[in-house]
Amino acid sequence: MSETKVRKSKEPSGETIVLSDTAMRHNTSVLSFTRTTVSVLSGCSAGILGLTSLYGFLFYFVTALILWAMLVVKNHNSWQKFLKSRFTFLTHSLLGGLFTYILFWTFSYGMVHVY
Amino acid sequence: MNFISEARAFLKKCRDENDRQSSKIVDVYRDVLSDSMKSLGDERWVVYEQVALASFDTRDWEVSKQCLQQLSHQYPGSHRIRKLKAMQLEALGAYTDAEKIYDALLAEDEANSSVHKRKIAILKAQELIPEAIEKLCEYLKKFQSDQEAWLELSNLYIEENDFPKAAFCMEELLLTSPHNHLYHQRYAELQYLIGTVDSVELARAYFAQALKFNPQNKEALFGFCSAAQWLASSTKLASQKKKDNQKYLTWAIDQIKTLYQKEIGALEGKDVAVEDLMAKLSIKAAPEDEVEANGEQKKAD
Amino acid sequence: MVDLVLDRDIRIWVFLPIVLLTFLLGVVKHYVSILITTTRKPELQQVYDSQALIRVRYLRENGKFLPLKSFLMRKHYFNDEDSGWLKTQNRPAPASNPMQDPGMMTEMLKGNLINVIPMIVIGGWINWTFSGFLTTKVPFPLTLRFKPMLQRGIELVSLDASWVSSASWYFLNLFGLRSIYALVLGEDNAADSTDAMQEQMTGAAMKITDPKAAFKAEWEALEVVEHKWMLANVEEDLCSKPLF
Repeated sequence: MSETKVRKSKEPSGETIVLSDTAMRHNTSVLSFTRTTVSVLSGCSAGILGLTSLYGFLFYFVTALILWAMLVVKNHNSWQKFLKSRFTFLTHSLLGGLFTYILFWTFSYGMVHVY
Repeated sequence: MNFISEARAFLKKCRDENDRQSSKIVDVYRDVLSDSMKSLGDERWVVYEQVALASFDTRDWEVSKQCLQQLSHQYPGSHRIRKLKAMQLEALGAYTDAEKIYDALLAEDEANSSVHKRKIAILKAQELIPEAIEKLCEYLKKFQSDQEAWLELSNLYIEENDFPKAAFCMEELLLTSPHNHLYHQRYAELQYLIGTVDSVELARAYFAQALKFNPQNKEALFGFCSAAQWLASSTKLASQKKKDNQKYLTWAIDQIKTLYQKEIGALEGKDVAVEDLMAKLSIKAAPEDEVEANGEQKKAD
Repeated sequence: MVDLVLDRDIRIWVFLPIVLLTFLLGVVKHYVSILITTTRKPELQQVYDSQALIRVRYLRENGKFLPLKSFLMRKHYFNDEDSGWLKTQNRPAPASNPMQDPGMMTEMLKGNLINVIPMIVIGGWINWTFSGFLTTKVPFPLTLRFKPMLQRGIELVSLDASWVSSASWYFLNLFGLRSIYALVLGEDNAADSTDAMQEQMTGAAMKITDPKAAFKAEWEALEVVEHKWMLANVEEDLCSKPLF
């Protein structure tokens, strides 16, 4: 039997909203997947472009913003079904993605520009 | 190739949702997968198990033989396969032989709850309902939070027309998943069947809760209406309470009329009884076992 | 801008191999751990106890969905002074030292074997083989405090902190590849050792080490629960507006 745990949250209006725990977990894992993929790709491109110091970090946040914009455009009608706030698209594992980004940035920068 | 991945996705969906579409599963296996099981990789063992189970339902002994052969070749002596073989015996009606295997399995691993449940299922298959109830109660004393078992016990009690006890079992399910409207509805139905003033009042409340969770639940709407009507015509109630119930009744009748108009069209005669309306709606009845299929509301997906 | 030029052979024979090595090590770790972890068979009594505790917890959390009578009936069953389930169960006190449990010991040993030992061995090997030169440079400036961290084995005071030695490059990889494992190996993988640690923690909390204490805690928690029926006003609420 597939068990669906539910989680409740109170809205300011007093309405109780019922959320499915498994579905929420699935949503976050999909978000993590996109975040990691985009971090890897943007890290590689930043390294190959030879961006250094502040420009590199800026590049990461710019790609994160672009990803957010794309997600928002893609789900502009239906995002309420998936998440409570649209900003979760932007903030979810932003820092974890940064670590991946730095690794790939350093890697491709080292491959192309150091030697 | 495309067919295979489609079949694979279908089988996975059935596995995940515990969907017992046995004849379809067996057909998919026979038409698409049987010659290309190797392409499924390690997934094929689960698929073999699934197909074997389905073939017991459809009584396709050729298919079950294939599956069991493959499985016992890959995992000789595995508990799961032995259980599967015992289930085949059950399907063939050889209950004593199946029970022997289950007993042997339990001797090796007492904590295996599914084997306990199989033994109870044998009793049920032999129509020995009181014995099955007794065994199941014993089982639930040990495995106290087994939802599936509570639901089954509730069904068995319903078969015996012992509604208060069935309601007790539904309460357990309400505790574990308090947001499932079907559980609320079933509990309310049981309370309504008990038929005292207190219990019908409870039934009214739980029908209302089920409606709140899922406004589309027509059974709950009709149940709410009937409960209010029952109470409004009861002689034992205080007048204030009667007035309340009259109010609920009018509300419910209004809702049913709106529903009727929405789905069927204009009312033909003016003074049609609500019961007739409900009958005409030909309620897309949620079958009994929808509760078992765990049809839960998913808000977020 | 680049003030130092490194030998190209370093790129092919040191820089790349370290990345590959750390990545493949993670993958191998994943499969080895699948291979050697045994699902421990729980003891029968433990299964019963945990099932009962789950039921008590649900009663506490969702008891408000039941009518008062039903709630009190269950509370009585669990909490009654003389005959309550939580009061009458007697379990022997657990072994105070987890080291005495041989099953636990082998589990811990296996955990160490998979997670810690390869990390130290490979790290030491890299430090020993590739010591004494730089491998790469991070593309952003760092303060001097990072020098001992990133330039292990290189004692040059005047060197810019953003140059990285081989051992440090290995550790950077070790930590940075974590989310990649999640991508490649699927969600819950053993290659990520920090997650494995967390799991051990929660796993220990779920397994009841001391049933007596757990029963007492649940008894207390259930004792203070007050029943406030969720459905008290549900009809009024429902009838205040039309359904459709």
